[in-house]
Amino acid sequence: MTSTRPDPFIVRTATFEGPLDQLLRLAQDGQVDLAALPLGDIAAEYLARTRQDLDPDDVTETIWLLAALIELKARALLPQPPPAEEAAEDAGQLEELLEERLAAYRAFRDVATALRTLEAYQQRVFLRLPEQPDEPLLSGIALTDLWRAFQEVLARGKERGAEIPPEGITVAERMAAILALLAAHPQGVPFDALFPAEATRLEIVVTFLALLELVRLLRVRVVQEARFATIRIYARTPQEDRTGAEAG
Amino acid sequence: MTDPRIREAANAIECVLLVSGEPVRLDQLADAVQAPADVVAAAVALLRQEYAGRGLEVQEVAGGYQLGTRPAYADAVRRYLGAAGREPLSQAALETLAIVAYRQPITRPEIEALRGVRSEHILERLEERRLIKAVGRKPTVGRPILYGTTEAFLRYFGLRDLSDLPPLDALGGPPPAVAPAETGEAGSEER
Repeated sequence: MTSTRPDPFIVRTATFEGPLDQLLRLAQDGQVDLAALPLGDIAAEYLARTRQDLDPDDVTETIWLLAALIELKARALLPQPPPAEEAAEDAGQLEELLEERLAAYRAFRDVATALRTLEAYQQRVFLRLPEQPDEPLLSGIALTDLWRAFQEVLARGKERGAEIPPEGITVAERMAAILALLAAHPQGVPFDALFPAEATRLEIVVTFLALLELVRLLRVRVVQEARFATIRIYARTPQEDRTGAEAG
Repeated sequence: MTDPRIREAANAIECVLLVSGEPVRLDQLADAVQAPADVVAAAVALLRQEYAGRGLEVQEVAGGYQLGTRPAYADAVRRYLGAAGREPLSQAALETLAIVAYRQPITRPEIEALRGVRSEHILERLEERRLIKAVGRKPTVGRPILYGTTEAFLRYFGLRDLSDLPPLDALGGPPPAVAPAETGEAGSEER
């Protein structure tokens, strides 16, 4: 890094002599004939100078100044098209369209304000909550269907032959297991899923008892959408918070 | 002296409105109390008059009548219920709902053109809250879903019907300064 700033770059042309930033200021004020300004020469001169002494700050500034000058000159050299009428019309139409949209939007925003007032009013009106019909615990399913399903599972258990059951399996254990399974499957599980293929007869019986117990305790729902359809078991959702419902 | 038939019908209607918990149409009331339409209408008018100074009020909402608590006592009710109340609609949801309400049936692209932003999610939320519903499909390319408001929408804002909506500045001129004042209409004396 150079410790001292180099002497400012002095531009020397036929019409102007002075620092670059001053040239830009004059050009911006329209006091310089940009068309006659040899920007290429100035740039080349500066480039030559950087070969001897390169100061990053100075380079940055100079490039910026030169670029600004190039832009000004480019604009000055470009023919100024007379304001095209068609374009003006298009712009007018577009503006009109935007105005229309904005007006429509404003109108809706206004009625939204009015609706907000109505909402606030109505949210302070409480209605008696209609009696909620009891959630069906066994919907679309006859006891015989459940029995048949149980028989099927039992038959499956039978095929494995008699076995001395290991440690005793309790209904409470199986209830906990079913609830855990249902908790992991909020969308419910098919009846069969309660009975793993390797389940023993005792496990099957106890699990079935556990299921019945859970139905009795209103902890699960057993649903069969159609006759002979898969029976599905769901965790029973806790009663909805009745206090939360208001008018609307 | 009130016509005893009207008195009787008013008492019966009062009971029906209490257990209903939602708007009951005049014909439903006539059916329930087994009285001619004119008697039912008079009985409802009598009830409304009698409830004027009470904690409950008979509101005309969504094409029927409902018995609800007066907003002035909402705080007492909320304290008792221990409920904070329902979340009001977001501003964006309210604006979208307004567009659906006034321009129904309307498609999502049409709504988005008006709002200038994508509105799929908001429409889904409004549908979830049962404030709007699909009412058909527009017979154009892609057959986009047409949305309309529901009866729950009328109940949510306490409107008798769609003609009860606050007037929309159809010309879209400068926002009317009177808009908020006008809206007390569907409310009542408390406002």
